[in-house]
Amino acid sequence: MRCITNKVREEIARGNIGSDLSCPYHPSHYRGQNCSFCYCPFYPCNDTDLGALKTTRKGDREVWDCSSCLFIHRNDVVEYVFKRIRELGITEPDDPRFEDIFRESKERFFKKGKAIMVLGATSDAGKSIIVTAICRLLNERGYSVTPFKSQNMSLNSRATRTGEEISMIQDLQCKAAGIRSPSYHVNPILLKPKGDCVSQVIAEGVPYGDYDVKGYYSDFVPNKGADIVRRNIDFLKNRYDFVVMEGAGSPAEINIYDMDIANMRAAEMADADCILVINMEWGGSFAYALGTVELLKEKDRKRIKGIIFNNLYGKTGGLKEGTNRIEKMLGIPVLGIVPHLDIKLPKEDSECFRDKDSVGTGKKVVSVIRLPRIANFTDLDPLLLEDVTIRYVRRPEDLQGSDAIIIPGTKNTLSDLNWMKTVGLDKAVISYKGKIPIVGICGGYQIMGKRLLDPNGIEDADFPDSDGLGLLDIETTWSEYSKRTIQQHGKFILTGEDVTGYELHMGKSVSGERPLFHIESFVEGDFDEGASRPDEKIFGTYLHGIFEKPAFRRYFMSMLSDENDPKPRECTDYDEDVNLNIDKLAKGFEKAIDMDLFERLFMGGKK
Amino acid sequence: MKLMLLGTASGVGKTTLVALFCRGLSKKGLKVIPFKGSNLSLNSYVTASGEEIGMGQAFQAWAAGIEPTVGMNPILMKPSGKGVIQVILNGHPLADISPGCHPDTSLLLDEVCRAYDNAHYNSDIVICEGSGSPVELNLMGRDVANMLLVKKRNIPVVIIGDIERGGVFAAIYGTWRLIPEKDRHFLKGFIINRFRGDPSILKSGIDMIETLTGMKYIGTVPYMDLKFPEEDSMPMGSGKLKGEDAVSAFIANLDELSSGIEDSIDYDTFRRIASEDP
Repeated sequence: MRCITNKVREEIARGNIGSDLSCPYHPSHYRGQNCSFCYCPFYPCNDTDLGALKTTRKGDREVWDCSSCLFIHRNDVVEYVFKRIRELGITEPDDPRFEDIFRESKERFFKKGKAIMVLGATSDAGKSIIVTAICRLLNERGYSVTPFKSQNMSLNSRATRTGEEISMIQDLQCKAAGIRSPSYHVNPILLKPKGDCVSQVIAEGVPYGDYDVKGYYSDFVPNKGADIVRRNIDFLKNRYDFVVMEGAGSPAEINIYDMDIANMRAAEMADADCILVINMEWGGSFAYALGTVELLKEKDRKRIKGIIFNNLYGKTGGLKEGTNRIEKMLGIPVLGIVPHLDIKLPKEDSECFRDKDSVGTGKKVVSVIRLPRIANFTDLDPLLLEDVTIRYVRRPEDLQGSDAIIIPGTKNTLSDLNWMKTVGLDKAVISYKGKIPIVGICGGYQIMGKRLLDPNGIEDADFPDSDGLGLLDIETTWSEYSKRTIQQHGKFILTGEDVTGYELHMGKSVSGERPLFHIESFVEGDFDEGASRPDEKIFGTYLHGIFEKPAFRRYFMSMLSDENDPKPRECTDYDEDVNLNIDKLAKGFEKAIDMDLFERLFMGGKK
Repeated sequence: MKLMLLGTASGVGKTTLVALFCRGLSKKGLKVIPFKGSNLSLNSYVTASGEEIGMGQAFQAWAAGIEPTVGMNPILMKPSGKGVIQVILNGHPLADISPGCHPDTSLLLDEVCRAYDNAHYNSDIVICEGSGSPVELNLMGRDVANMLLVKKRNIPVVIIGDIERGGVFAAIYGTWRLIPEKDRHFLKGFIINRFRGDPSILKSGIDMIETLTGMKYIGTVPYMDLKFPEEDSMPMGSGKLKGEDAVSAFIANLDELSSGIEDSIDYDTFRRIASEDP
């Protein structure tokens, strides 16, 4: 407390500094925040709109936790506080008149954020891309903005800084919103399909249980799901100017209408104004638009304030005739027709490689074993910054001509290992040992080991004891139903360069190999991770995201190059590339949309 | 008998379903002829008498146990790049159409009707396949493959929706709604295609669509992986046929699948719709 007092005294003397771009932690919350009060002069305000009492890690006492509060980082609040400080002649942080200033500024400036919701007429309508674009545009206009998707079904997930699991796409949207550290609030329910219509439910970042479709809607949703959604919407609305929400699938699935918490019910809880997005690629888009709106219940239909026709290949041509008629029939304005934008951003789930055997057009062929329950395959996207074609391999003969092999993550290591044996990919991969690089990530790393033990049937009861590929001397055991979700940063041991990534796995491995990374963990201290056999070009790790920073990607690419290749080009940081593509997307969206209309309808006329 | 399958969008599985019905009904002893008035495709087949038709109709003919003839697809539109489309009429090139230009609709419709009449006369049942969505508001006036033919020849219509992408009820209802009221009496039934899981979960939605539109529910077709050649520049399924005798491989695959959908389709309703003038 003493330390905070001194800091606040300095802050009072220094005055309004705006965003502190020189600070290594900037932006601690979001791009555009006001940093003048890095330490809050109101602490502890004890206002439950802004924070909560929390038990300390030791469990011995309760402290006021307002780590996610953004109120004191608003420009208008900071300006007002300094004005009052000057007027009242306050110099000391413990001046009791701060209580009055807090009350006044809360009355003036605190209001719940506005919710905008993007709904799709189908899956893959372009909802998440449009949420991404809106987040970036609003943040550029100086607002604090957060994405939100109540329920997301995806096998691509990420660990937050505090170790909760959220979907990859909300993490990306947070990047667009300028949010430094995404929290589980942006995606409080994550469904990870395990096969046979059963999904693992991750609730508020933590594994909750496995449900089939019926059980999910009859048990989880009414007993827990609806509360979770409401709680997290409230949390975000109390903190951000705008909450940009994403629906799931279509809101007009009339057979499950009342059970659906991902669409109109979430909109109602958030009092959101909604945009309906229709993908034009397959045709029939006018029918999808009209049918979707008209099948909604009347109270929900009123929330649809605008329509976007998305992903048009070719010219707008006579389409205006159609969109005008839809506007007239529904009484809802069409915000614009967005052309197909050539943007390189990670895509969600199997959509991105349905029917596809490869992505990219580079010279080097990186073969990825297309495991039936492949997960976190966005790990591989950064490779497309290089001269690489990613080939999805389902049969041994597909491996011919590969320059490297990657065994990716999986939702079910043991059943996918068994699949590899059934189709003969186990022996096929082993036959490339020492010839080309073989890299295993997470589940793929476990598969490359000697033995995999699951005596209690936690990963898969059908395979209590399996032999792995034996490429690495590691042994993995699933002894309890617990999942490790943690962000990591550290060094790539062979070159000493920085790497970042995150672990998301069940099962623990014991390794007799030389490690690949040296992790410097904030929570756990330093430790070694992964397995490395540079002579045989074999590597394995639990870290997802290892190709994002240049360090390991550059090393990996150097193993692929022939002596007579020209010098490999400098590797770029994937994060920067993603950021550039978000800008490109936001610009393309802005150009296609009637932004005046958008501001009037969704931002309360704010510019 | 006669029937037209219209899709709520491209790639909803019309071509495959027509092939399955051709197979199923010809096995029941009917003489079936597939028909598609106008086809936009780069994959074509040359008939025994040297005319060019869409590949989809050739496979549908084989499914029906007959040889493909030009009358099954009188108009074939082949995109030749930069928006230019080559029009093949009755198996032979007619003209290259520049972007923004359109061939004479009434001429094309006459040709389509003539070919259709011939197919109808020579069969127990013609199963027509529409093209894309029938309610592209900017194209409806010259869309000879869909409602123009239906109205001209009084053909009952079944709408196909694809549930894999979601929003299938909205797609079927929206399509019905955008057909002008005076023409809705042609719309007799609907089919939900590509469903995974237990179809009982769909019941309440299906009932609601029946009540709202008066169309009859004909069935829910499970997701299938038919090995079919590419059509319409849209993916038909994940597998493509390779090897020497693609036709017999296709037929074998089709037989396997059609036995699987026998129970999913209400053939009584299907035949009743096909037998009555709308």
